[in-house]
Amino acid sequence: MLTLSHLRKTYGAHVAVDDLSLHIRAGEVFGLLGPNGAGKSTTVSMAVGLLSPDAGTVDIGGQGAPTQPEVRRLLGVAPQSLAIYEDLSAEENLRFFARMFGLSGAALRTRVDAALALADLQDRRKDAASTFSGGMKRRLNIAAAMVHDPKLLLLDEPTVGVDPQSRNAILERIEAMRAEGRTVIYTTHYMEEAARICDRVAIIDHGKVLAVDTVANLIAAHGGDPLLTVTTSDGPEQIRTRDPVGDLARVAAGRTVLDFRLDRADLEQVFLNLTGRTLRD
Amino acid sequence: MQALLALAGKDLMLLRRNRGHLFFTFVWPLVAALFFGTVFGGGGDDNGKITVRVVDEDQTPASAQLIAAVGRMEGVETTPATREAGLDAVRHSKAAAVVIAPKGYGDAAERLFYGAPPEIELWVDPSRKAEAAMLEGQLMGASMERMQTLFQGGDAAAKQVDRAIADAAGLPDGGDATLVKFLGEVKTFVGGRPPASAAPAPAEAGAAKSGGWEPVSVHRHEVQDETRGPRSGFEVAFPQGVLWGMLGCALGFALSLVTERSRGTLARLRTSPLTRTHVLAGKALACFVALLGVQALLFTIGAVAFRVIPSSVPMLVAGCVSLAAAFVGIMMVVAVLARSEQSAGGLAWAVFLPLSMVGGGMVPLFAMPAWMQAAGNFSPVKWGILALEGAIWRGFTWADMTLPCGILVAVGVLCFSVGARLFARTEA
Ligand SMILES: Nc1ncnc2c1ncn2[C@@H]1O[C@H](COP(=O)(O)OP(=O)(O)OP(=O)(O)O)[C@@H](O)[C@H]1O
Ligand SMILES: [Mg+2]
Repeated sequence: MLTLSHLRKTYGAHVAVDDLSLHIRAGEVFGLLGPNGAGKSTTVSMAVGLLSPDAGTVDIGGQGAPTQPEVRRLLGVAPQSLAIYEDLSAEENLRFFARMFGLSGAALRTRVDAALALADLQDRRKDAASTFSGGMKRRLNIAAAMVHDPKLLLLDEPTVGVDPQSRNAILERIEAMRAEGRTVIYTTHYMEEAARICDRVAIIDHGKVLAVDTVANLIAAHGGDPLLTVTTSDGPEQIRTRDPVGDLARVAAGRTVLDFRLDRADLEQVFLNLTGRTLRD
Repeated sequence: MQALLALAGKDLMLLRRNRGHLFFTFVWPLVAALFFGTVFGGGGDDNGKITVRVVDEDQTPASAQLIAAVGRMEGVETTPATREAGLDAVRHSKAAAVVIAPKGYGDAAERLFYGAPPEIELWVDPSRKAEAAMLEGQLMGASMERMQTLFQGGDAAAKQVDRAIADAAGLPDGGDATLVKFLGEVKTFVGGRPPASAAPAPAEAGAAKSGGWEPVSVHRHEVQDETRGPRSGFEVAFPQGVLWGMLGCALGFALSLVTERSRGTLARLRTSPLTRTHVLAGKALACFVALLGVQALLFTIGAVAFRVIPSSVPMLVAGCVSLAAAFVGIMMVVAVLARSEQSAGGLAWAVFLPLSMVGGGMVPLFAMPAWMQAAGNFSPVKWGILALEGAIWRGFTWADMTLPCGILVAVGVLCFSVGARLFARTEA
C-alpha cells in the first residue's frame, strides 16, 4: 500500500531522515515508534507529499508518488499539529474537507455524520472548534482525516493530549478501520498503544529504521530474557533468565524470599536494547 | 470548480466570523471616507446649488423673461455672462452649465403653435448628466410659464395673436385654415375680436399638421470641464476610503493564508487532490469577491448619503473590478512572502504605505507636488484612485479609462503569477 525507498531529508547539516525504507502492506496497522525528533513526522510528511525528499521515492498503492493529485485521493492525514479551522464548527470543518475530495450531496452528509460519530462530536457539531477542549480538537483532527473514506490513513500522534477514555475510543476506531480493510500508519511514542493495536512496528531513531516486525517478534529478537526480581532479607535482586522458575527455586533454597516479580520484555526494553537509551529520554 | 467555490465560500465564511477583519474591511474605510470627506470640504459646492451662467444674446422681453425664470429655479444659482465667459466658466469648473437665449429667441417665442420653436442652448460638461437633465426639464417648465402669461390675456397677448394670424395667413401654401381658425379662438380667449379672415374648416384636418409642434426646443451642447475638480470633498474621500478598505480586506486575506500555513490547514489542503494553484485561486476568488463587496458597499453609501454619483456607472464597475484584481495580486505576494502573521502585517504596511503615500491614498493626487505625482506613476494606488475618480468626477471616456484599468489588471496578473510561482517554491 505504501512503499518508502531510501528516503533522505536533511535540514541544513542535520539529517532528519536517513536512508529510510519501509513497505507497509494493505490492511495492516503499522506503527512508527520513536522518541521525539526521531524523524517520524518528517517521514509522514514525505509519505503524503508535503515534503519532497532529498533522495528516495514514495509509492502509494502502486499508483506513484503523492505529488500527483489523483494519488492523494487515496490518502487521509491527521497531522501532529492540529489542522482545523477554529472559527468553523465541527460540522463545517468536516463538510469543507469532504468537499475538497469531491464529495457532495447525500454522500457528503453520510460521510460527515459518520466522521462526527467517530470523533464522538455529534452533540457539539454546531459549535465552533475554538470552543473545544484539546482532546475534542484532536478527535476532530482525526475525523477530518477520514471524512472522505481514504484507503490509507496516516495518523501522526493522534492520542497526544487525549484523556484515557477518549484514547481508548480512538484506538477502538482504529481497530475498526483495520476490520474495514483500511491501512493505517500510526506514529507514537507510547509503547503500550503500539503493542496493543499495531500489526507491525518500525522502531526509528535518528532518522533510521532500527527494526521492523510484529511486536512479539521484536520482543523475542531484541527484548532479551524476562527479568526476575526477587526480594530477600538481603534486599532486592534482579536476574535475567530463561528459566525463571529454576532461578527462583535456587534463590529460595538459600534465603527467605519476601517477594518476587517476573517482568517479560516489552517494546521499551526492545528500544533500550537497540539504542542504549530509554524511549522517553 | 466545485472545490474552488467551496474554498472561496469557506474563506468568506471565515471573514464573516472575524470581527477584526470585518472592521478593517467595512467600517474603518467608511470612517476614513467620512473623515477625509469632511476635512476636504464636506458637503459639496456651496449650499448644494448648481451654479449656472445665463447669457441673453437676444435682449428681448421674451429672453429676459426666460433668464429671470432660470434664476427662480429650485437649487439653481445664476450669474449673467457673455457666451465666451460662460463657456469658460464651465471649462474651469466655475459653473456647472450655461443657459443661452440666442438671437431670434424672442422672435420665435412670439410665433405660436407653428414654425420653428424658440431655441435655448444648454451647455454642460458631459459628466454632469444629472444636472443637465434637471436643467433641461426646468427649462421646458420655464417656457410653459411663458405660455401661461400669454393665456392670462392682456394687450401684449392680443397683439401677439394678431401677428400670429397675419403670419399664418401668409404661409407659402396659402395659409393654414385650421391654424387661422384656432388662432381666432385663442384671440377670443385672450380678449380681442375674432379675425375677419377666419374661415370654417374641419378641426380634424389641422390637428395632424400642427402635431409636431413643441413650445420650446432645448439644444444640449457639450463643453468639457478641463479642470475636472471634484464636486465635493466626498468625491475625493470615497475613492480613498475604498482604497483603505481594499487594503484592510486584502491584508486580512493575506493574513488568513499565512494563518492557514502556520495552523496546518494549508498542509491539509495540500494533501487533498487540489493543486497548489487551486488552493491559491480559491483564496484569490474569495478575496476578489470580498473586495468587490467593499467597493459596492462604500459606493452605495456614498451615492445614497453623500451624493457621490459616478458620471458613468459601467466605468466605475470597470474601475472597481480592475482595482480588485490588482489588490488580489498584491495580497498574494504579501501572503506568500510573509513567514508569520506578524511579518505579514509588517510587510503589508511596508508595501502599502509608500505606495499609498505617493499614489494619493492619503493626500489627494491634485494636491501633491509635481515630483510626487510623477513618483506616483509607479504606484498602483494612484492608478486605482485615478480609475475610480475617472468614473466619478473626472469625466473619463472609455479611452481614458483604458490606461489605469489596464495597469491595474496587469499588476494583478503579474503579482498573482509571481505569487503562485513563489508559493510553489516555498511550499515544496
Ligand atoms: N522545519 C524544520 N527545520 C529544521 N529542522 C527540522 C524541521 N522539521 C523537523 N526538523 C528536525 O528534524 C528532526 C526530525 O523531526 P520530526 O518532527 O520528524 O521528529 P518526530 O519523530 O516527529 O518527533 P516528535 O515525536 O517530537 O513529533 C528533528 O531533529 C527536528 O529538529
Ligand atoms: Mg512528530
